[in-house]
Amino acid sequence: MKTPFAGHALSLTRLLPHLALFGTLILAWEIAVRTGLIQSIMVPKPSTIFAAIVELYFVKGTIWYHFFVTLTEAVAGFIIGAAIAIALAVGSSLSDAFRRYVSPYAVVLNVTPGIALTPVIIAWFGFGMGSKIALAAVISFFPIFVNTLTGLTQTDTDREELFRSIGASRVQIFTRLRVPAALPLLFAGLKIGLTTALIGAVVAEFAQATEGVGVLMSRFSFQLNMGASIASLLSMTLIGLILFYSMEFLDDRMVFWRREERREAVSRKRARAWKRRG
Amino acid sequence: MQRHAVRSKASPDQNAPVVSGSGVGKTFASGTVIALEDAGFSVPKGRFNSLVGPSGCGKSTLLRLISGLIEPTSGSLQVHGEEVTKPRQDVAMMFQRATLLEWRTAIENVLLPSEIGGRVTSEDRTRAMELLKLVGLGDFAFSFPAQLSGGMQQRVALARLLQTGADVLLLDEPFGALDEFTRERLNVELLRIVTEIEATTIFVTHNIAEAIFLADEVYVMTPRPGRIAKIIDVPFDRPRELSIQTSPEFNHLVEEARDILGAH
Repeated sequence: MKTPFAGHALSLTRLLPHLALFGTLILAWEIAVRTGLIQSIMVPKPSTIFAAIVELYFVKGTIWYHFFVTLTEAVAGFIIGAAIAIALAVGSSLSDAFRRYVSPYAVVLNVTPGIALTPVIIAWFGFGMGSKIALAAVISFFPIFVNTLTGLTQTDTDREELFRSIGASRVQIFTRLRVPAALPLLFAGLKIGLTTALIGAVVAEFAQATEGVGVLMSRFSFQLNMGASIASLLSMTLIGLILFYSMEFLDDRMVFWRREERREAVSRKRARAWKRRG
Repeated sequence: MQRHAVRSKASPDQNAPVVSGSGVGKTFASGTVIALEDAGFSVPKGRFNSLVGPSGCGKSTLLRLISGLIEPTSGSLQVHGEEVTKPRQDVAMMFQRATLLEWRTAIENVLLPSEIGGRVTSEDRTRAMELLKLVGLGDFAFSFPAQLSGGMQQRVALARLLQTGADVLLLDEPFGALDEFTRERLNVELLRIVTEIEATTIFVTHNIAEAIFLADEVYVMTPRPGRIAKIIDVPFDRPRELSIQTSPEFNHLVEEARDILGAH
């Protein structure tokens, strides 16, 4: 039996080489700037970035307000984009006519660089959070739409015949077969969509805004305060990580049958529920 | 909807056929391929019939016609004296692939027919558990399909087939994807179970020995166009042991079927 301690020790020995590599890279970078190999005005020293992080995140804490603005924009845009994408994908999967009308627009929207819509969207929605949310929604739409539609329209003739042979209605085939079978692809789409939503929010902030991490970062860059600029960039990484892993977590819970440990956990849970029922 | 009470619909006359067809034909709209031509047959209650033949002989088509999943282009087909127009509650089907839902545990898969038919009652649940025990999977009720072997998955599919409460069972090469040993064992069990519940069974296979081992009557089918070339009577009593396959009588029947298929 593995004790938690043994597991911990194992992961530490695995982690050590990675930490060593990271430390070496940072050290080499620091030395390269200090010896003048790289111009410090363009590329700040790691120690400068670290100092900026301490100031922005902990001493003054100025970053947090902008952090939550950008996070809200990305999440709100994602939710709107995902809702429209899923609704249209469900409609398209149920009716061929509906799909024929929708798909040309979806394709046109996809081949048009979404980012290029930034000026138009800012003109429509203004300098505030509205335009950031709108751009995030627009560019997160397509990956979610395509994945959901692909998932819902993949056909398994045998299973469909099974459902028909036991007298299932179209609604039952949809809710009990097509929707669960589409979940893995739906989540793949949502994961891509969530990351693209963040790109949309940040690009719109770069273009024209008064708040958000993007604003903070470009402001520092203009002041040639590269340390603070990169410290701001890292908060976008942080937002990206939070978003990605929350979706990953949700995926793991909803599409539990894909991973062995989750399968076993759910299996035990259902067995207990069955016994309680008596 | 109660699925288990369907049996009472059966004709009181023991000799009346449960499944019968005359002049049944099917031409697929996509082309001029005649999948099945002029099939006439009659299966009395509790009989086990095999349909055997090479691919393209129309055996799966005939099974799907009886199930009501597709409609014939000519002729007439009856189950319990009623013309088949759509899937019926007293007819259930099993496929070569287990077609389990991988997000449901074994027991939840078995309960699917009850769920589709209406609300799941506690009797449905008790019955599902009994059926899983019957197919030897009592200890795996809460396992997901991915945790089960191919043979076990087909056992779950068999339990699900029985959960429908149908008295006409249609099996389309149900163990065809399994290894020889597992297939033989499952065939013996299948025969035991359908004998016990007195189900009328139609079993599709391309394996002549398997067809003869299981059936009371074997329909030998030939392709282009698909038709029933000969009906062979199998005189062995049930329950059957695997050892009958080495008897001269059995081998004689195999040869008879092989001759018809080879001559074609």
